Amino acid sequence: MKKIAFKTLGCRLNQFETDSIVSQFHHGDYEIVDFSEVADVYVVNTCTVTKQGDSRSRQAVNFANRKNPDSLMVVTGCMVNNHMDNSQNLQDVTYFVKNEQKSSIFHIVESHLGGEMIIPSDLKPDTFNYSPADKTMHTRSMIKIQDGCDNFCTFCIVPKVRGRAVSRPPHDIMENIRKVLDFGFKEIILTGVNIGRYDSQDWNFEKLLESIVEISGDFRVRISSIEPDGYGDRFIELLQHPKVTPHLHLCLQSGSDRILLQMKRMYTSSEYRNIIDKIKREIPDFNFTTDIMVGFPGETEKDFQQTVSMVEEIGFSHVHTFKYSIRNGTRAARMEDQIRGNVKSDRSEIIRKLAEENKLTYRRTFIGKDQRVLIEKINRKGIAKGYGQHYIPVEFPANSYSRNDFAEVQIKEINRGKEPVLVGVV
Amino acid sequence: MNLRDHKIYRIQEIRELTESAFILRFDRHGLNFMAGQHILIGLEGSSELREYSVYSGEKDDFLEILVKEVETGMVSKQLKKLKVGDPVQVESAVGFFRINKEDIDKKLLFIASGTGIAPFHSFIKSYPGINHTLLHGIRYSHEAYESESYEDFRYISCVSKDQKGVFKGRVTDYLKQNRIEENTLVYLCGNSDMILECKDLLEEQGISNESIYTEVYF
Repeated sequence: MKKIAFKTLGCRLNQFETDSIVSQFHHGDYEIVDFSEVADVYVVNTCTVTKQGDSRSRQAVNFANRKNPDSLMVVTGCMVNNHMDNSQNLQDVTYFVKNEQKSSIFHIVESHLGGEMIIPSDLKPDTFNYSPADKTMHTRSMIKIQDGCDNFCTFCIVPKVRGRAVSRPPHDIMENIRKVLDFGFKEIILTGVNIGRYDSQDWNFEKLLESIVEISGDFRVRISSIEPDGYGDRFIELLQHPKVTPHLHLCLQSGSDRILLQMKRMYTSSEYRNIIDKIKREIPDFNFTTDIMVGFPGETEKDFQQTVSMVEEIGFSHVHTFKYSIRNGTRAARMEDQIRGNVKSDRSEIIRKLAEENKLTYRRTFIGKDQRVLIEKINRKGIAKGYGQHYIPVEFPANSYSRNDFAEVQIKEINRGKEPVLVGVV
Repeated sequence: MNLRDHKIYRIQEIRELTESAFILRFDRHGLNFMAGQHILIGLEGSSELREYSVYSGEKDDFLEILVKEVETGMVSKQLKKLKVGDPVQVESAVGFFRINKEDIDKKLLFIASGTGIAPFHSFIKSYPGINHTLLHGIRYSHEAYESESYEDFRYISCVSKDQKGVFKGRVTDYLKQNRIEENTLVYLCGNSDMILECKDLLEEQGISNESIYTEVYF
């Protein structure tokens, strides 16, 4: 039996795609092993959204090559789309597979091991040809509803590597969801590059979400990263549905209107605040997390302070802070007044510290309240770990509960480790 | 498939407007767009493409863009050298700077600086009869690109460096001296300083953020 190992860099979309590919190999004659182990086949699903993404992707390929120089090495994902020429410089890669042929990796590997070399670019491109994964490492099942982006933010390479926005037909999405619910998943995560702009067969994102929550069964729906534009008040109403979890990763990027305009974001800081206020009016303990980019070209201290103020004011429970890095082919790469690396690092550190304080403050508010936790694992000491509906980690004595059960947990305290975890009892 | 497809188009006509500004007209090849959207364009086979708002109307059987040669630019210089019959590479239209169907009968104020007039030219050609006013901020009156194509009373050139404009001064000066009617939808296209200053002034006049649409040019 051949051993195969996977490494996924970057976004949830990549994770979804890897999960689906892993599932195909599960059903084949393969043993899935950890990426740190010696394997016969390695698949690295790369990221190129930042310079760091490129770097980590290359490190993963080089690591696998050192582990087993004779392995069959498949490199796929956005770095391949972005740097097809440069990525060819990577040593000992058997196949470079672009995003649009990624769903054919099982076929490529099977053919190779059977003695047939396939040229990936000759295969028919397909963005949505991913089977629902029944065996993944997670208790949550990601559902790809959309790919690509038409926003053309000036810093972003995604339109180049993921292409123009395209939405998966609603019927396929509903079928996929029913299938993963049949597999036993109790939480689904709607995933895409710009899901708020979902648009297929006259269905927008609200209509899709409305139909998803009408599916019967005990499950919940999590909306992953979403842009603060492209949807209306109906979306806010739907967030109050019992099946929709009270958490959004609502990308802000900057608190400065000047920078938002230069980034070509589709909103102003006040429009962003309005969305937050509307949601908080209905669901006061709603969990907001976000992305912040520091060091965008021309970002002054004043611009940065506006971002800091907004992070303080909104109290995001988690901030994914990016240091802006030049992505060739984007408008921002040609902008003057690029910010020095040390300034970016300092600003990133300020946001990181602030975000940590916010996280602890927010999570403390749950002491004495209940969380409906989906159990992801139970350790040897009988402690169940999982996430509540607000997407906060919770631990509690498992008692008679099993993995993938929902448990109503009363939160008693907070464990102040590197990652503050709520501790409770059922 | 959602890949960024591109096609080769042939230049049909070039209209020189000033020493540096010109209009390129090329085949349409059935390319769909909504007024206000932009296309990416560059030389055939080049990986250097730039965004240009479509200047022509939705129903025209050709595509036009308004280009200003930028001293430090790359693609605008290449486009400037093109001749009729030359090929260009064009990617399909994208963008959300559009007039929503439900807003088409409302009072509209278009504010442009320089070549930012391009999407408004497309709006006006695509939707004849819309109730609009067009403010065009330019330095010199000869930069009033094809101003004769607009109805006189709807086109207001705001000229900052000579005395021949309909209004003498910048578009921001115009806004300081003229009250914008309530319930007007405002569309701003041009450089970011102009957009931010206009937004502040409009806000002071009670025009809400939700009534303002922007497209930044660099």
